[in-house]
Amino acid sequence: MKWNKESKLNGLIVLLAVIPIWELVSRGELVNPLFFPPMSKILRSFFLLVFSGDIPYQILLSLKRAAAGYLLAAIVFIPLGIAMGLFGWVHRLLEIIIEMARPIPPPVVVPVAMLFFGLGDEMKVFVIFFSCAWPILLNTFDGVRNIDRILINTARTFRVSRRGAILKVILPAASPQIMTGLRISLAVTLILVVISEMVGSTDGIGYFILDSQRRFKVDQMYAGMLSLAILGYTLNQLFLLFYSSVLAWHKGLISKQR
Amino acid sequence: MHFAWKEKLNLPGLATLAALLLLWEASTRLSPTLQFYFPPLSQILLSLFDLFLAREVVGHCLTTLGRFLGGYLLSAALAVSCGIALGYFRRTYNLCEVLIEFLRPMPSVAIIPVAILFLGIGDRMVVAVTVYACTWPILINTIDGVRNIDGTLIDTGRTFGLSRWTILRKIALPGASPYILTGLRISLPIGLILVTTSEMVVGGGGLGFFILDEERSLRTSNMYAGIILVALLGYLLNRLFLVFESKAMVWHRGMRAEGPV
Repeated sequence: MKWNKESKLNGLIVLLAVIPIWELVSRGELVNPLFFPPMSKILRSFFLLVFSGDIPYQILLSLKRAAAGYLLAAIVFIPLGIAMGLFGWVHRLLEIIIEMARPIPPPVVVPVAMLFFGLGDEMKVFVIFFSCAWPILLNTFDGVRNIDRILINTARTFRVSRRGAILKVILPAASPQIMTGLRISLAVTLILVVISEMVGSTDGIGYFILDSQRRFKVDQMYAGMLSLAILGYTLNQLFLLFYSSVLAWHKGLISKQR
Repeated sequence: MHFAWKEKLNLPGLATLAALLLLWEASTRLSPTLQFYFPPLSQILLSLFDLFLAREVVGHCLTTLGRFLGGYLLSAALAVSCGIALGYFRRTYNLCEVLIEFLRPMPSVAIIPVAILFLGIGDRMVVAVTVYACTWPILINTIDGVRNIDGTLIDTGRTFGLSRWTILRKIALPGASPYILTGLRISLPIGLILVTTSEMVVGGGGLGFFILDEERSLRTSNMYAGIILVALLGYLLNRLFLVFESKAMVWHRGMRAEGPV
């Protein structure tokens, strides 16, 4: 993607233009201001909530759950995906079960998790773990399966041990696709933490937003959404930073080939 | 991956599945406490059958399906047309880019409370939320698709004096269609997620509501029956999409196979 300084400026102007238009629409009562409070009010309660520590507290709670589920899924399903890619029998053993469990939309797992774990953190962690499983598992599997056979055979020719081959050849070669799975899962994680907090929780940012709506503190609801957008953006940028530092070699390889 | 059974019957896989199901059935029958949380499979299938006889669940299925289709098709029409325009007219894209990048990272379920405020808790709200969530993948993929069209194609169209509208319709749309289909495929499960979630949050019919309601009434075997139904719905929709995709993209596959690799 080409980046043009002028274009970024134009886009920012549009974004900034939204604020006064919003303000006018709300103050002029074109839309019911009860549902659509003026931007100034939203921003005011956003800053109030941020500095009083309310929003940071809720976000930290949500982040804790999200991180636990996400990391757990990565720890379990990356090795499983590698095993499935390397050994045909593992794949064949699990194939049917995976194909049967995969179409279950993750939110319907929330009631099951509530039944087993109650309304605590474990419930959210389980839901996130379940929903991150498929992108991570299937991408890792695909990545390992599509490795150039020559690489593996070369390692074998040089008598690299099986463990060495997995760590030094297979894991790096599959890492671009593993990263894709992790990136998709990041977005999924954020969605699921909000869903599970909306359906069954007493705290967390998802609960905060829905609760503000139910108590008609609409400006707080929008402030919560704003903080969620900022959170999502930040996490994605952090991931991209991580991605480019881990996979710098891969980028160089691709651009050389072209 | 698809139609795996046609190639060869996966005996070890089937055996694992059968063993798991047997273990499930046996362990839940032996332990009454476990049975409450996790009823035996036979009982779940029985209640699924009963629910169908009572016709109660058919209505919920149709409600969910209707909401999903409404939201999904609407967002497809909206996002494809906007995406083609944004991909083709770079200046318009530049204006909207920051706005898109600002809205996109927000988890789409966060829009549910806003939708409740504006649209109440009926069908319209569920459809609106689904449209919002499904739009992003389709939009981004369509923009990418139009960008990646070979410039020669568009220049050729211009040389032959095609109007801008014709170029968009006859060159940009088919040229971007592989990307558009990717976006549509990504949106399919997202749409189902959003429909079931908003049904859980606002109630008022649909499979999401049904599942949560049965859990709260502690009729666990009905809850699992509902989950099986949702999974089945997701699976069938995905299959339907694959059929549609292979029909729609016959020309593309042929082109790729013949062209120099």
